[in-house]
Amino acid sequence: MSQTEQLLKRLPNDIGGEAAGPIQWVDRELEPWEKRCHALADVLDFHKLINTEEKRRGVEALGAEVIGNLSYYERWIAAFANILFQKGILTPGELARKMDEVAGRWQAESTGEDSPPARP
Amino acid sequence: MGPQEHDHDHDHPDDEIAQAGRPGYYEVMETAVRELLIEKRLIEAEEIRRQVEVLDSRTPALGATVVARAWVDPAFKSRLLANGRAACEELGISFYDDTGLIVLENTGQVHNLIVCTLCSCYPRAVLGLPPDWYKLKPYRARAVIEPRAVLAEFGTVVPDDVEVRVSDSTAMVRYLVLPQRPAGTDDYTEEQLAALVTRDTMIGVAPATIRTGSTVR
Repeated sequence: MSQTEQLLKRLPNDIGGEAAGPIQWVDRELEPWEKRCHALADVLDFHKLINTEEKRRGVEALGAEVIGNLSYYERWIAAFANILFQKGILTPGELARKMDEVAGRWQAESTGEDSPPARP
Repeated sequence: MGPQEHDHDHDHPDDEIAQAGRPGYYEVMETAVRELLIEKRLIEAEEIRRQVEVLDSRTPALGATVVARAWVDPAFKSRLLANGRAACEELGISFYDDTGLIVLENTGQVHNLIVCTLCSCYPRAVLGLPPDWYKLKPYRARAVIEPRAVLAEFGTVVPDDVEVRVSDSTAMVRYLVLPQRPAGTDDYTEEQLAALVTRDTMIGVAPATIRTGSTVR
């Protein structure tokens, strides 16, 4: 099978049966934002905004390079943003502005310039 | 999913917020998405807070109570094998999603192993969130093609005359392994039995033994 045939037949998530190295015997506690990201995924599912299968396909749609370079929950939040754009629930501009606001707020908080609301 | 994810140095584009101790790009994104959805009244902050508590409340100790009950109560075990979710709910374990649960019994003839080759589907309601190794490529790729070699890396050697069955989880169907009750536990209480049941025994990468438990009898 040629390499491009392989690319068509196996999407990035579809790795069952591939050759791979030894089991990476690792585990760790989630960071607080990762746990919130997981909770967000569950709440999005409860409200039928993004279900588990849409989430999985959204991660797959990030493509092999992004999947290979982002961590587990980084992939999730990137996929959520894309899916919410596709569904017309959020716009890219809206998210960019909100991210600037959040980053600015935390920056001010860390330098003690202001007394913004506490981080969640 | 590649090994890179645990090596990469979190060198995010926005240096302003990626300095040590400061939130990174994706943490900012998570907060921004959440706040926008709350502002649009699509979700509530309270729901996120409550779900974090739910996630924190789920640990393998819940699964261990299910297994121990099945070991001491044959009627419960039958119900558990017939409908895993209903039997867990009978013990007061709520399922916070609409996944089904199939419980797979290990016997002298069959050893079960669970995996999610596509992502990380896992019986979260009874075990909590999966360990990192369950989500990484080597386990997902190899468990379905060379389960005996994978089991051996966990120190579990399954005799050749025992069939190894691997079940691949999906978004809607999750699996839980019911390990074999260790020999020499006839006089154990249900609570003492539960202490022998660890997360790995319910994934199927290890047998329950008198030594696996966290508490000494």
